[in-house]
Amino acid sequence: MIASPSVGRLARLAGASGGANRWLERLASLKLTAYLIAVLGAGVLMAYLSETRTTWSLVVPLALIALNLGAAVATNGVFRRNLPLLVFHLALIAVIALVALGRLTYLKGQIELAEGEEFAGDLVSHDAGPLHWWRLDRIHLVNHGFSIDYAAGVKRGPTRNEVGYAVDDGRPQRTVIGDNEPLVLLGYRFYTSFNKGFAPAFLWHAKQGEALFGTVHLPAYPIHEYRQARDWTLPGTSTTVWTQLQFDEVILDPDKPSSFRLPRHYKLVVRVGEMRAELQPGESIELPDGRLEYRGLGSWMGYTVFSDWTTPWLLAAAALAAVSLALHFWNKFSSRPWNPEHAADA
Amino acid sequence: MLELNLLWTALVAYVVSGSTAIISVVLDRRPQRMILVLLVVGLALHSASIAVRWDRLGHGPYVTMFEILSSNVWSLLLAFALAYWRIRAIRASAAVVMPIMFVMMGWLLVSSPGEGHLPPTYHTIWLFIHIGFGKVFLGAVLVAVGIAGVILLRHCGVGVKRLAGLPADERLDDLACRFMSLGLVFETLMLVAGAIWAQDAWGRYWAWDPLETWAFITWLTLAFSLHARLAFRLRPHHGAALIILVFVLAFLTFFGVPFVSTAPHKGAV
Ligand code: HEM
Repeated sequence: MIASPSVGRLARLAGASGGANRWLERLASLKLTAYLIAVLGAGVLMAYLSETRTTWSLVVPLALIALNLGAAVATNGVFRRNLPLLVFHLALIAVIALVALGRLTYLKGQIELAEGEEFAGDLVSHDAGPLHWWRLDRIHLVNHGFSIDYAAGVKRGPTRNEVGYAVDDGRPQRTVIGDNEPLVLLGYRFYTSFNKGFAPAFLWHAKQGEALFGTVHLPAYPIHEYRQARDWTLPGTSTTVWTQLQFDEVILDPDKPSSFRLPRHYKLVVRVGEMRAELQPGESIELPDGRLEYRGLGSWMGYTVFSDWTTPWLLAAAALAAVSLALHFWNKFSSRPWNPEHAADA
Repeated sequence: MLELNLLWTALVAYVVSGSTAIISVVLDRRPQRMILVLLVVGLALHSASIAVRWDRLGHGPYVTMFEILSSNVWSLLLAFALAYWRIRAIRASAAVVMPIMFVMMGWLLVSSPGEGHLPPTYHTIWLFIHIGFGKVFLGAVLVAVGIAGVILLRHCGVGVKRLAGLPADERLDDLACRFMSLGLVFETLMLVAGAIWAQDAWGRYWAWDPLETWAFITWLTLAFSLHARLAFRLRPHHGAALIILVFVLAFLTFFGVPFVSTAPHKGAV
């Protein structure tokens, strides 16, 4: 077996002092393994049922399992005689180690882009490991609009979203993503999500400075079908604008197949303090700090961005674990029949 | 409807086959060939029913509870029929397995055969790989449950005389352990395939949703039972009890969790 000389030396080294050796053997106990697996099960249940984040109930048993297994690999002769069993257990350790590394370096975030908007590095929300190396600023991503068909009963069909992209100053390219097909750039995977909706666009002509273009992402449609309004703040001011989209037409018909689209007839209501206005594209309202011009209605798409460099390695380790486990059982069971007296029967 | 007529006829064949198997153990008779033939006839009709529905709806039996139950009754009975055919010594374990299958068939009978909507995330080959591995896993555990049931019945003094013809407990324990080992390999593969699919479908490979959590706990329990067998030199009836525990967990994970939870694992929003 490949591992035997060095592992044997390791065991002898450990045996240099009798006490340490006994200690290592005790740590390598197979009974302890069974208890630790049970403890890990309890830890999983605890993390699952508890309201708060309870990572330690997974981390502690996993670390103990890794110690237990490490000691067993160093001292238990089974692993020297049985290469597939050794590979299986090492692959398990690799999985644990990779998951830990992945948790330190991953990023998972949410992005929203209106039609025609370029991603400027802003995440609506995110979760990241402390060692994540941020490279999102090198990515150019533009949402060119999407189509989604719905079956009767407002059951969502596949999402097809055309996006343009480039890395650094690279040549801009276009592709269609959606559902199971993310766009992968610099290890970041961009997925469309079920979050999407309507986005009225405005130009804000402040009294001082240049006109600013922006979109308001109304609550996701159709999940928040009856709540198509939100507050937002004019850039550079403390003025809050309440914006509502009103329409009567049925866009996603519960009784027959339909597609996501913008309403053909709608009212865009804007309220600032006591002032209320209904705007058509091109119309504007005067405010103390400037003029707010309504430019038209579009859509926005919500994306999930995920980055974890460990995933291909995790897959490799997990696949190796499965194959070596199968090989171990094959060797073990094919070496003798289960019922020797009636071997022919099996 | 042809599809349902085929299914009901298949269920009748299964029930007659299973009842005969139970009665044959109770009365110490051996109409084993008939039991196997009826099982095969049932499987053939059931396959036809699933094929007709697949053709009509354009997707396989994995969307509604009715479809999931139907396809699992099919795959579990296929696994058991194979074991029944190949391993004659344990044929009497049908008396343990068939009542479990009757419960699933009863559940299938009362669930609505209406059609569901195929979620957009289901358009992938990983669906078939994930489900296929899961079916082998559950099938292997079911065969082990039949054997474990025999060990436990004998241990409790139930039907000892009728079950005396089967190999000794130690031998049965060894065989059951082999099926559990096969189960562990396929459950591992099922989890890996599921993680790949989840990464594609939801942008994360693992998120401890209820189904993932319970599947992982089942996997741990299975790993625990194989280790405990080695570490504590378990007696056959203790090993058998662990097999039943794994099956109960797996059963609840497969058919209980999707029922009570509205978490994203359903994939449809
Ligand atoms: C949760 C993680 C683990 C899983 C899933 C697992 C799984 C297995 C499996 C399937 C076998 C083969 C059983 C057989 O041949 O019947 C095995 C054997 C073994 N495992 Fe683990 N194991 C895990 C963790 C550990 C740890 C932490 C240790 C450290 C002591 C360990 C030590 C052993 C040993 C020494 C054997 C060989 C026993 C023998 O064949 O006599 N395992 N393990």
